[in-house]
Amino acid sequence: MTESSSTKLLNGDACRRTLNGKNASKNGYVKNHCLFQQSQKYSRSGEKKQNATHNPSLYKKPFMEYFEETPLLVAVLTYMGYGILTVFGYLRDFLRHWNIEKCHVARERDEQKDFVPLYQDFENFYTRNLYMRIRDNWNRPICSVPGAKMDLVERVTHNYNWTFEHTGKVVKDVINMGSYNYLGFAENTGPCADAAIEVTQKYGAGVGSTRCEMGNLDIHEELEELVARFLGVESSMAFGMGFATNSMNIPALTGKGCLILSDELNHASLVLGARLSGSTIRVFKHNNMQSLEKLLRDAIVHGQPRTHRPWKKILIVVEGIYSMEGSIVRLPEVVALKKRYKAYLYLDEAHSIGALGPNGRGVVDYFGLDPRDVDIMMGTFTKSFGAAGGYIGGKKELIDYLRSHSHSAVYATSMPPPVAQQIITSMKTIMGEDGTSLGTDRLRQLSENTNYFRRRLREMGFIIYGNDDSPVVPLMLYMPAKIGAFGREMLKRNIGTVVVGFPATPIIESRARFCVSAAHTREMLDTALEAISEVGDLLQLKYSRREKPLPSLGWMSEESLLQD
Amino acid sequence: MASGQQWVLVEMVQAFYEAPAYHLILEGILILWIIRLLFSKTYKLHETYKLTEREKEDLIEEWQPDLLVPLISKDHPSLKYNIVSGPPSHKIIVNGKECINFASFNFLGLLDNERVKEKALMSLKKYGVGTCGPRGFYGTFDVHLELENRLAKFMKTEEAIIYSYGFATMASAIPAYSKRGDMIFVDEAACFSIQKGLQASRSFIKYFKHNDMEDLERLLKEQELEDQKNPRKARVTRKFIVVEGMYINTADICPLPELKKYKNKAV
Repeated sequence: MTESSSTKLLNGDACRRTLNGKNASKNGYVKNHCLFQQSQKYSRSGEKKQNATHNPSLYKKPFMEYFEETPLLVAVLTYMGYGILTVFGYLRDFLRHWNIEKCHVARERDEQKDFVPLYQDFENFYTRNLYMRIRDNWNRPICSVPGAKMDLVERVTHNYNWTFEHTGKVVKDVINMGSYNYLGFAENTGPCADAAIEVTQKYGAGVGSTRCEMGNLDIHEELEELVARFLGVESSMAFGMGFATNSMNIPALTGKGCLILSDELNHASLVLGARLSGSTIRVFKHNNMQSLEKLLRDAIVHGQPRTHRPWKKILIVVEGIYSMEGSIVRLPEVVALKKRYKAYLYLDEAHSIGALGPNGRGVVDYFGLDPRDVDIMMGTFTKSFGAAGGYIGGKKELIDYLRSHSHSAVYATSMPPPVAQQIITSMKTIMGEDGTSLGTDRLRQLSENTNYFRRRLREMGFIIYGNDDSPVVPLMLYMPAKIGAFGREMLKRNIGTVVVGFPATPIIESRARFCVSAAHTREMLDTALEAISEVGDLLQLKYSRREKPLPSLGWMSEESLLQD
Repeated sequence: MASGQQWVLVEMVQAFYEAPAYHLILEGILILWIIRLLFSKTYKLHETYKLTEREKEDLIEEWQPDLLVPLISKDHPSLKYNIVSGPPSHKIIVNGKECINFASFNFLGLLDNERVKEKALMSLKKYGVGTCGPRGFYGTFDVHLELENRLAKFMKTEEAIIYSYGFATMASAIPAYSKRGDMIFVDEAACFSIQKGLQASRSFIKYFKHNDMEDLERLLKEQELEDQKNPRKARVTRKFIVVEGMYINTADICPLPELKKYKNKAV
């Protein structure tokens, strides 16, 4: 049976495909190590199996997620690398302290020398000694539209990244694998840009007031009605900034005496919003439904800590696509749990709206669920729509309550008119209401690009995390020196990539993250893949020890025959 | 090797015979007590609180959450926003009627300025509308850097940083510097954004009466006394004074020259 051959254990470590219905007893994706408990990671006695109540009937198509285990040698070398860097860091600090080496760190003015220092030296150890060395991979300024190809401003540093100077030259036509441009709406020509230009001429560039005072333009009303129709909910509300949508509305929804169950890898905006609300926060393991169910049961049975009073509300906070892992939330199971235990669900679709699903309506569309099951649907317009801002959609009572109680509606300025118009035009394009098939074409192109890119990278032998259908592709680098080397080598080959290290990821799991876009053509992807392969050979990044899969076409068709 | 061990054994036995009687009796009692503890039945206090599966299921069935949001009356004023059609400049069309605009924050009248609009359109034609990324990942444009340089020159400071959302600026800047355990002296009439920043920073907050310098001085003197009692803690506690230039809640200006004095005195 093809099943057993694909799940054979090789060299003691394995990556298991989780196909529903196949491994009846060993379902559940395999993330072999808790992110913050490193001692258990390299137990060769096998992965920690989650005996899942993974209900195959909830999923309409196979849910394939991979998180391959870190090879032992790589982990050891990574720790050694960090150890050496720390030793050098202490050495350099010592030299700076005794003025042998020139110090570029920001210093207080002379009059304030005896004030309590703003930063303890130790807090900044990581920033001073590790981040500064490879700082040129981030904050790269661009001077064109952030589409599939962009122009970077060239900058040089004469003192090892402490200060940068712009040479005045421009690096042209760098393939952009870093911007969140999933559907290619980051463009300065075309119907979206024309409509935005018209609106700027009519309304000006700003609003100058809050939503509940004079800041509610008729464009905002049109936008909210359109968003509600797009998502399939009763009504919606739009805000000026995506991050602020989370951090200002979660406090309005929950308070003391409520419980928030949030995923381990939730975004900082969700964590900040949860903290500001004052509720109790409990964290469940990433995408792990058993952990969530256990927390729910314990919470309802035991009530609030110490007083044992029943909780007022329980709110489950998850994201559609997790941007650092590339994994998609197990929404059917979460919805089943929420219905069983009468909890509320807050879904943050920052990356998945517009990028997943046959109609681009996000992760709810991707799984074919009813949008009314999700109580609060939140998302941002920055990624797929090429604008800025966030929205919350849900039942009419919820949105009415938010209109009166949300901090953003009362105190913060509303969305500027050109931004709102850009969203309206791009959303109509995706829905097909502008009369062209541009939306469906782009959605199809995005999913084709995603599948192609992921398949090719996996064939080359890199370790790729995440779900097969997510346009966010993390490629594991692990070692600290490779973070800097990868970013710079790719730039030399005219490809702009994003590399991420601590503290956005666990300390040894640094990665490069690619964002596939519908604006990328097959040639651009091929160029990029060639360059990645070259750099991968140069830096020895092809860690994957999985067996090469059989040619996907034949295998998939066989599998579909076996699926009952 | 073996003889050395036997030698030690003989010594041990001899010591046993020579030991005083009370010592042996005490040791014997202790050994018997240990044996009793080892073999006695363990008594878990929480045994009595464990719930059976049936009870758990019942509790889960019974529990009813509150409504997600409390119902608000249909006549709540915030439900009907005023709809503005047309540009929000000196004259503004609200709900179909043309009015003189005393409501928008348009102090210099730049919302409807032709030159501003022209430049905005030029930049739209060059860069598109959105940045599609955070500052760290190809979201920094050369115009952002230019703006930061100009702001720094305009405000006569060394450097400047820009945020895309006004509310978030204060709410992010305060927790960036002031952490748990630090001290912040804030005017009572501080705006909501500052209040959220203070809440996020988890520091000790002390409010002084609005624009009342004596009150602030009193608080600072109290803090100084506290510091003298506990100099070690004082050396690591940072202190901040947070004021607004022009208060949105009370429409007056803060007394900046006096604040400068306090800043240097209160070390």
